[in-house]
Amino acid sequence: MASVTIPKSRSSSTQRLSPKARQRLNAVSMTVLTAVVLFIFLLPMGYGIVTSLKTDTQVSTAGAPWYPASPVTFEYEGRAYDVFEVPVDGRIEEWALINRGRESSEFIDPDNPAAGLIPWEGRWRTLEQAWQWDPVWSNFRDAWTTINFPRLLGNTVFYAVVSTIGAVSSAALVAYGFARYSIPGKGTLFLVVMATIILPPAVTLVPTYAFFNRIGWVGTWWPLIVPQFFANGYNIFLLRQFFLGIPRALDEAAMIDGAGHFRVFWSVILPQARAALLAVTLFHFFFAWNDFFGPLIYLAGNPTLYPITVGLNGFNGLYEGQDNLIQAASLTAAVIPLIVFFFAQKTFIQGVVITGVEK
Amino acid sequence: MKNIRFLHILLLLALGALLIACGGETDEPAAEESTATEAEAPAEEAVAEPDAPEETAVETTSGDRVQVRWFVGLGAGSDEPMFAPQEKVVADFNASQDQIELVLEIVDADQAYATLATQIAAGNAPDIVGPVGIRGRDFFRGAWLDLQPLIDGENYDLSDFDPALVEFYVDQQEGQLGLPFAIFPSFLSVNYDLFDEAGLEYPPMEYGAPYINANGEEVPWDLDAMRDVALLLTVDANGNDATSPDFDKDNIVQFGYYEQWTDFRGAATLFGPGALVDDNGNAQVPANWREAAKWFYDGMWNEVFYPNGVYDASDIIAGNGFESGNVAMSHTHLWYHGCCIGNIDFTWNLAAMPANATGQPTAKMHADTFGIMKSTENPEAAWEVLKFFIGENAQEMTTMYGGMPARLSLQDSYFGTFEENLGIADQGINWQVVVDSMAFADNPNHESYMPSPQEANDRYNEFWSLLGQEPDRDVDADIDLLVEDLQAIYDAAGNQ
Amino acid sequence: MEAITPDAITEGTQVGKKEKRGRIEKEQIKWGLIFLSPWLIGIVIFYLLPFIASFGFSLVSFNLAVPEATEFVGFDNWQRALFSDPNVYESFGVTFLFAAISLPIGMIFALMLALLMNSKSVRGKAFFRTMFFMPTMVPLVATVLIWGGVLNEQTGWYNILLQNVFGIEAVGVSGLRWLADPKLIYFTLTFIGLWGVGNTMMITLAGLQGVPTEMYEAAEIDGAGYWRQLISITVPMISPVLFYNIVLGAIGLMQYFLVPFVLNGGNGFPDGTTNYVGIYFYNQAFKFFNMGYGATIAWLIFIVSLVLTVVLFGSARYWVYYAGEE
Repeated sequence: MASVTIPKSRSSSTQRLSPKARQRLNAVSMTVLTAVVLFIFLLPMGYGIVTSLKTDTQVSTAGAPWYPASPVTFEYEGRAYDVFEVPVDGRIEEWALINRGRESSEFIDPDNPAAGLIPWEGRWRTLEQAWQWDPVWSNFRDAWTTINFPRLLGNTVFYAVVSTIGAVSSAALVAYGFARYSIPGKGTLFLVVMATIILPPAVTLVPTYAFFNRIGWVGTWWPLIVPQFFANGYNIFLLRQFFLGIPRALDEAAMIDGAGHFRVFWSVILPQARAALLAVTLFHFFFAWNDFFGPLIYLAGNPTLYPITVGLNGFNGLYEGQDNLIQAASLTAAVIPLIVFFFAQKTFIQGVVITGVEK
Repeated sequence: MKNIRFLHILLLLALGALLIACGGETDEPAAEESTATEAEAPAEEAVAEPDAPEETAVETTSGDRVQVRWFVGLGAGSDEPMFAPQEKVVADFNASQDQIELVLEIVDADQAYATLATQIAAGNAPDIVGPVGIRGRDFFRGAWLDLQPLIDGENYDLSDFDPALVEFYVDQQEGQLGLPFAIFPSFLSVNYDLFDEAGLEYPPMEYGAPYINANGEEVPWDLDAMRDVALLLTVDANGNDATSPDFDKDNIVQFGYYEQWTDFRGAATLFGPGALVDDNGNAQVPANWREAAKWFYDGMWNEVFYPNGVYDASDIIAGNGFESGNVAMSHTHLWYHGCCIGNIDFTWNLAAMPANATGQPTAKMHADTFGIMKSTENPEAAWEVLKFFIGENAQEMTTMYGGMPARLSLQDSYFGTFEENLGIADQGINWQVVVDSMAFADNPNHESYMPSPQEANDRYNEFWSLLGQEPDRDVDADIDLLVEDLQAIYDAAGNQ
Repeated sequence: MEAITPDAITEGTQVGKKEKRGRIEKEQIKWGLIFLSPWLIGIVIFYLLPFIASFGFSLVSFNLAVPEATEFVGFDNWQRALFSDPNVYESFGVTFLFAAISLPIGMIFALMLALLMNSKSVRGKAFFRTMFFMPTMVPLVATVLIWGGVLNEQTGWYNILLQNVFGIEAVGVSGLRWLADPKLIYFTLTFIGLWGVGNTMMITLAGLQGVPTEMYEAAEIDGAGYWRQLISITVPMISPVLFYNIVLGAIGLMQYFLVPFVLNGGNGFPDGTTNYVGIYFYNQAFKFFNMGYGATIAWLIFIVSLVLTVVLFGSARYWVYYAGEE
């Protein structure tokens, strides 16, 4: 394990301490530093969770507290009135504001409504409103039903699964071809593979779109799924690197045993490359799960097929100004990938490292 | 199960493609030439035969019924609560006869333009589209069917409509593209609680009536009078109004005036009708709209009575100015009250629009109808559907979309039902204001045609948002730049 | 099993070496092509043909809304893009400006996290690593919406934190308008991008772990301090990883679309600062339906990306260190 040593010059006071104490001090300060960075980094998550539990009123009221709360109200003659903290004779009274006026207003004391309206001189806008803790869990239910979450989820799962099957199986075949067979011009072909990774998708998009549109595939899953079955450069590259590392002796032995080409691929190469296949599968799965641009243009106008990403964006447009619902919907959309991540964490992080370092 | 079958189909397809490609692999050397010519093929193909009807476009599905596809999304109707009522309309229509099968397609408003364009280009256009306003109609200029032959063919009775309104749907080049269905006049919606709090008189409900201002003087209800009272109704967190020397512009909690959900063209029409394209097809910003831009700009940044872009996006407006309760006077169309006032918990009513420099008020108008697409294979069947929508079923459908029926015979009973459906029948809203506002509709309409409508629309939105965001603009210079850029867009559109 | 080997030998001697090699070669080519076929078909259908056709599209005035009006216009679209449409240069300009701000910040942040995750002084690294990686898994659309809320100038927690903890006048219309101030927007978008730092962090971490410990030990003896070691050992040793991240990052930015699109519908707000080429392409091709002009812009994106890639790879030999070279 390599390590980064903490500089001696960092603090002169630490130098006078014993090495052990210094180490401990370092550990504490570095860990605290990391924790602070993490806190700032994950602050949006906290905001999302808290906001998703707020009431509509709170979201549209300036000066509302940061935690989920609703205004305290008092019912008077059949109508609910907001309660304010009114300073009276050096005390703070919680009174309900009945008749608003610019320079003087009329309140009622909720503890003693029989006393009638109490006139008060001053500007009610300068008063603090009284709030009470009130998380609204139903925001999640509202978001769930308005966005038609089950349908979006079903679409997303379908797209992710089918396109992953296509992408991984085709890339594995092609990568095997590149890793094991000598074909004239293979080097050039492989350069082309690399070039497709860097080629901006925009440059092929207009004709592709026009073509799919012409054959009536726009508004269906086909333009998104079918191309996945023709192996993409990135996946080919990763798998080829991995296949190259598998000793040739293994497939030669199998050939001698009379195994055919597909047989070797299937029962020798694939089992050996399980880790890389898993990594590519996970990557592609999450790529498809997060895919936005493709579904946005190809599924335009067929809301019944929308995946979560596009549905969520539409939801944002419809509920502009209702941040509580938007946050609830966003968090809901994040739950499943996060669960998968926490369960498959190790494989996932390993996969990232494999793909990155093999470059 | 379904997914598995789908997979099989996919695999078969992949296999098929594989075979085709293997066949082509032999002539590798000549590949470059052949690909080059082939490559042009999809482009040409896509454009060469746009009028060739697709077999898939119209299919007769159940029995002998002719299928008519109804596309919703360019105007009202794409919100979730509207789904069920529209499906009921479809069911009612299908039950009413046995020749035609009406099929409903609802598309989210954000995506509707793109979707319809895609469908038209793919030769897969729907038959009837709507409700659609002028903006939506002119975006697809050239795609609509002239209804005149159908009207003449059976002498369709138009006497129940205001002739001016029938004329409203005539396009000089394209013909009678629609018939009057629902109209949405605009007027002021007034938050009475905020006027009460400030101790001010409410704006007049009758056109031509004067206003009693804060000093108790009777003044004409014009833009100046409205601005003066709006300043008194713009208040900061300390309770100072915008006329006070202590007023804190950075801490405003309530605004005097607001243009509810409109754009530059809509807002500017407060100063009178206009268009961003002149009679010769060149870009322009008419003088009265230039004045309007400065008036709003001043109201956002100097003597504040109108929310600038920052406040507009803030929680004070909360995406719905009037309903938020933080705006004293909002300029709204009738459709707003049909859809979006569910959470109002204050006393409110309607008021007349103020007069502008012409001496008359301008109450911009939205009018929705249904259009039949030129490409339809069954114009007769679509015409039957259209007649059902604007005829027998007009009462139900106008109520459903929150518009005032264009049929004169339905207008009297309209607002009673409207109020009842909204659950505000006991609030004494003066709907006569809406009827009176019709007389001050804008002509030309603020949504009328511009070349390359979507791109031009984006450009003037950018201008409008810039004014809302930055306090130190030279409005005149920005307008000149806008005209220049619009001209470039129009020129490119001539090219496209 | 064993019977096969002698057979093969006799076959070899009987048929002759040359012919045998020819047969094996043919076999190799045949099976190689079979395995490559999905990609070979794909490259023709989904890359080669559309790539060339795309150029063809740039020569016609194809509007999806009025396809029947399509005609050949020669280089009019190119003329417009290169000489009369200021949006094209502006969109490339803002894209490069954004790249200049966001790539370094993103890279330094990832390096910093990787250094922390690699530091022996930090306790609970497994936990931290998971937590720093976690937001990467949140779907990007959701990420943007969450950040859009937390950066709200009035109710957003960052402004509230800055105001209450550091005493900076951040909250409100005169405070830090992260989403509306043209001077802040690039930083805002960069911060949103940091939530996807997980992959870069892990790759950089793996790079750090590959640096031989002896090098640090030797430097220690020479009396090199922490920063000195970082600059003269760590960074050069992981420069291939940094290079990889820069190339992917730069190419990614040429297609930058989702974040500004979700934040403000791709309208360039504020003041055109977010009108990136990716956005402008989308607007022309799929919003205004000027498919011909869209194809022209796509080709420009391609040309610029190509130049960029060549420049980056060309620069690599001056600063990227490959073990085993020389």
